[in-house]
Amino acid sequence: MVNLLERPRLRDTAPAPRTERRAARLTLPTLLTLTAIVTILPFAAMVVVAFAPPSGQTFPDALNPANFTFGNFQRVLSSSDIPRWTVNSLLYSLVSVVCVLLFAAMAGYAFAKKRFPGREIMFWAFLATLMVPFQATLIPSYILVSRLDWVDSYWGLIVPTLANSQAVFLLRQFISQLPDELFEAAEIDGAPEWRIFTMIVLPLIRPALATLGIFVFLWHWNDFLWPLVIGQSQQMQTLTVGLATLQTQAVPINQVMAGATITVVPSLLVFGLLQRYLTDSIAMSGLKG
Amino acid sequence: MLLLFLVFRILPVIGAALLSLTDYRLSGRWTFIALDNYTRLLTDSLFHQALGVTLTYTVIFVPLTVLLSLGTAVLLHQVVWRRGFFRGVFFLPYVTSIVLAAVIWKWIYDVQDGLLNAVLGLVSIGPVDFLGESNLVLPSIAVTSAWKGFGYSMLILLSGLQAVPRSYLEAAMIDGAGAWQRFRYIVLPQLRPVLFFVLVIETIGAFQVFDAMYVMTGGGPVRSSYSLVYFLYDSGFKYFDFGYASAIGLVLFAIVLIVSLVQRRLVGRED
Repeated sequence: MVNLLERPRLRDTAPAPRTERRAARLTLPTLLTLTAIVTILPFAAMVVVAFAPPSGQTFPDALNPANFTFGNFQRVLSSSDIPRWTVNSLLYSLVSVVCVLLFAAMAGYAFAKKRFPGREIMFWAFLATLMVPFQATLIPSYILVSRLDWVDSYWGLIVPTLANSQAVFLLRQFISQLPDELFEAAEIDGAPEWRIFTMIVLPLIRPALATLGIFVFLWHWNDFLWPLVIGQSQQMQTLTVGLATLQTQAVPINQVMAGATITVVPSLLVFGLLQRYLTDSIAMSGLKG
Repeated sequence: MLLLFLVFRILPVIGAALLSLTDYRLSGRWTFIALDNYTRLLTDSLFHQALGVTLTYTVIFVPLTVLLSLGTAVLLHQVVWRRGFFRGVFFLPYVTSIVLAAVIWKWIYDVQDGLLNAVLGLVSIGPVDFLGESNLVLPSIAVTSAWKGFGYSMLILLSGLQAVPRSYLEAAMIDGAGAWQRFRYIVLPQLRPVLFFVLVIETIGAFQVFDAMYVMTGGGPVRSSYSLVYFLYDSGFKYFDFGYASAIGLVLFAIVLIVSLVQRRLVGRED
């Protein structure tokens, strides 16, 4: 995009003195750069402290690269359950991504293109659940899981989060924009329902699935309250919960930051690979994490 | 599939409403107590504290994050140079977890070894106990949350800015409007629906604040960062007073609903 507010100069006024114009041209990029540095600074500090020797945790001692060490990482990996927490977080995120996408695509397709009794009522019930904040249903969800005897298990962690109304809603919107003729033609050709779903619906909604998939991954990878409540033993905690408990114990700050650095890597990978995709889709759909 | 939604989405919503009318405890035993949980909330000083903290936090956080998002969005919109790169940088904290943000910032705010106090020490200020003083703790947490989340609203606002018709701005410029006047009288009115959307989601998010407080302060000092969701969490998972906790959840739901209805009504009237 072009620069709208500053670029065009009035033709009927005298041009500003050259130095003044140059100053104006430089102010905004400078301001932008400064803001970006401040934004990045906490991450940079985290990494520096994670690599700093335990004694030199205060700045500016910690900034001396000659002292950099991997010791904090080794110590935090051996003294805490970070490997196990990483596995839990990965399971929680990846299984959810696959199931949520599949379920939401099926439900979205049914709501968008199928006529069945009670469709309207059910869709309104879905929309209504979108309005209710997750925290409001935390207690009943927990009681439900404990009645199923799923507390402190992967089942309890993952299964309740698979019913994602937001995903259903988004995919329904996307699928309802597809032309009806496609589905009618397939039906006339005698294609069974599952073939219509796998051969027509899924390929056509691939871009929406990709974006939604990234978001579902980030929602779960960064989720805190639900894993906190469900994962009661050390072994069932996710990385976010583990990190939170790590820093309440008497773990040195360098090791906490080393742990923090480890947890941020997958998010950064996802971000680095799919940044443009992600930012564009937010601008278009208003998807919220 | 349908069963899954029925059991894990719809049932908890109905369950929350019903539970809030009982004194359901950990044992699973309960009796129907009608609205007793709600009348108890009215007189519970802890509830008043949590509500006050949540409102104060919202009043600090929402303007902070909206101004930050709007400011960065306008900057990005103005400067063509390396836009994709800067957009990525501002969006970076958003893809990380609030727990991570809280862990980093807790250390930044630390009285003894913290980065901020080290910097302030250079100019002989402090040390300031950002998380230990009751009048500093909420702004400090709000800064952390705003840092973590502003990239999202920034993107929404940026796309709103890019949708402002160029011809409007050019017409204003020919009429001799300065940069500020163009922003105030053309860009802002055009941006209003997007701005309201951002305002609504940030307000709703602010009312649900919990993670950052749990990690950074544990609700302290002396419950001066003890939010509604924190109160709900404690009632449920510290005192196992599930009926009471469900009532708090419904109050939260009611607040969120009212906020979005009021803001929707306001936008409707403005249009």
